[in-house]
Amino acid sequence: MINALVSLNADLASSIAFRYSCLLTGVADIRLQPIHVEQVDKNGYPPGSGWVRSTWEKGLLHTATEEISQLLYAERSSCPPLDTTIVRIGDREEELLKELEEHAYEILLEGVLNSFDSRLFKQKVHSKLFKEAPCPIILVKNLVNPDRMALLLGDPKDVKPLVSCFLRLFGKSRVTVDLVYYIVKKTGQPEFRKKAADSAGPDWEKAVRVIDEAKVLLAEDGWTPEESWIIQDSIKRIGDMMGEYGLVGAYTPRSTSRKQQIMDLLSRVPSATLSCKW
Amino acid sequence: MQILVAVDHNPYSSHAVDEVAKLAANTWANVSLLGVEPRNTINGPSLAASDGLGPETLFSLRDLFLSHFNRETSPYTPAEPGQALTEVRKGIYEASTAPGHTQKKLVLRLRSGSPVKEVLSEAKEEESDLIVLGCDNSSGCGWKNDSGMPRKVASDAPCSVLIVKKRKDVKRIMCCLDHDRVSQASLEMINQLVTLHEAQLTIVGLSGGASLKEEVESKMANILRYYHSRGIEPWIEQVEAASLNSYIAEESRWGLMALWMGKQSIIEKALPRGKVDKLIKGGDASVLILR
Repeated sequence: MINALVSLNADLASSIAFRYSCLLTGVADIRLQPIHVEQVDKNGYPPGSGWVRSTWEKGLLHTATEEISQLLYAERSSCPPLDTTIVRIGDREEELLKELEEHAYEILLEGVLNSFDSRLFKQKVHSKLFKEAPCPIILVKNLVNPDRMALLLGDPKDVKPLVSCFLRLFGKSRVTVDLVYYIVKKTGQPEFRKKAADSAGPDWEKAVRVIDEAKVLLAEDGWTPEESWIIQDSIKRIGDMMGEYGLVGAYTPRSTSRKQQIMDLLSRVPSATLSCKW
Repeated sequence: MQILVAVDHNPYSSHAVDEVAKLAANTWANVSLLGVEPRNTINGPSLAASDGLGPETLFSLRDLFLSHFNRETSPYTPAEPGQALTEVRKGIYEASTAPGHTQKKLVLRLRSGSPVKEVLSEAKEEESDLIVLGCDNSSGCGWKNDSGMPRKVASDAPCSVLIVKKRKDVKRIMCCLDHDRVSQASLEMINQLVTLHEAQLTIVGLSGGASLKEEVESKMANILRYYHSRGIEPWIEQVEAASLNSYIAEESRWGLMALWMGKQSIIEKALPRGKVDKLIKGGDASVLILR
């Protein structure tokens, strides 16, 4: 059983993320723990201590609990019974990090609205929470069925950590997975999407080698990918193509130069993304 | 639902009639096929000397429309052989089959005058919910006899307008609504088009800055629920109003673009009339202006 923390606010992105999380429990053995952090004002806590401070906090907690309960109640028909929602007051990222570390969750799920402007997604992935989270993070942008997943492969170094991450989370799930080796098209280069099986020859040697390595690692756990693809196109179009999958996984290394490209790509995926990192 | 299809004798009009027939099969709408002749070319009740659109074209478009329906289950009365257009008001000729209790109206009408003016008058008189027109992609979405006709109708019509452009299939529909004031009828219209084309629907929420307004977000959540309950799983996308032009410029993604252009619409402000004209004129995506 995978323990997942689902970060919720009373907004549209959270409503979508929550419903997606519920769908995920239908294909994988996952226990969902909803959490809401009521962000204190920019000015921080109001002046006061003791009874004054305690009453203020209680009021805030009560309102926040009500709002999240309404959201969960609206979606109750599509979700399994859940544990009581954790409601905290404080800095959202700090509180989430604290909860993730204290209770050793294996994954964090959050909603972020799919946006034409990729800056919003990038702000999220450059946040302290994203950088310091001790587990992989799924960012849900749209409500899609998560039963079909894709693993994005580029650098050979990414293969092992990405496949291990996928197997740890979904090794016992009922999903199908495709392997997608992507090449970001340079000016003048053609765009294509072809099956790896049809890509013999020296031009495809690296791509086929990376895909084969991923296949071997998956096979060790009894997995066979449904299909393996090699795609060469612009980041935007590759991202758009990934919309046909319910979850797109990628290894997001700490090194900034490699991270930049994969983050650009993930920002363009309209469905849901899984970021694995160590 | 009352659909007015403005037609001429060109192939794009046949395509528009095909599309309307599919829509009518789902909605059982009352349909009018309207042709407009230049003034003084309609020569009396026999219409024998008409050399423009002519009644033959209207009858043949009616046959095309009816060919989409099974005779036994059709909500429209089958065509009567030898039927003719008769003058019902000065300069307005009509042929309609009397519908039974459970049947829908299919009316053929021929008017004379300026096509734009006559189409708009007809829509107003008939209280049409939707005007549908085809257009010639190769000539900037014009009509053969009036290059600006579809754009002028889209701009001035009192109701929604669908401009059908010929393309292979509509796989993706973008629906840019004014989410503050979205009407049930417009949601239903989108619903029908998505079902008809088995297309992926993307609902675009316009934002003033980094995030959507609270009321817009709440409206979008309701729209999502509305579509989910009808088995449609739309995607949502947030677009800053300032980026709307570049977003729409990526037309190749869409088979049909639906825009809410009500008086209070955010889009009306973000997308001035000239830009909407450009949208209709260029590209190969059909355009639905929702009012």
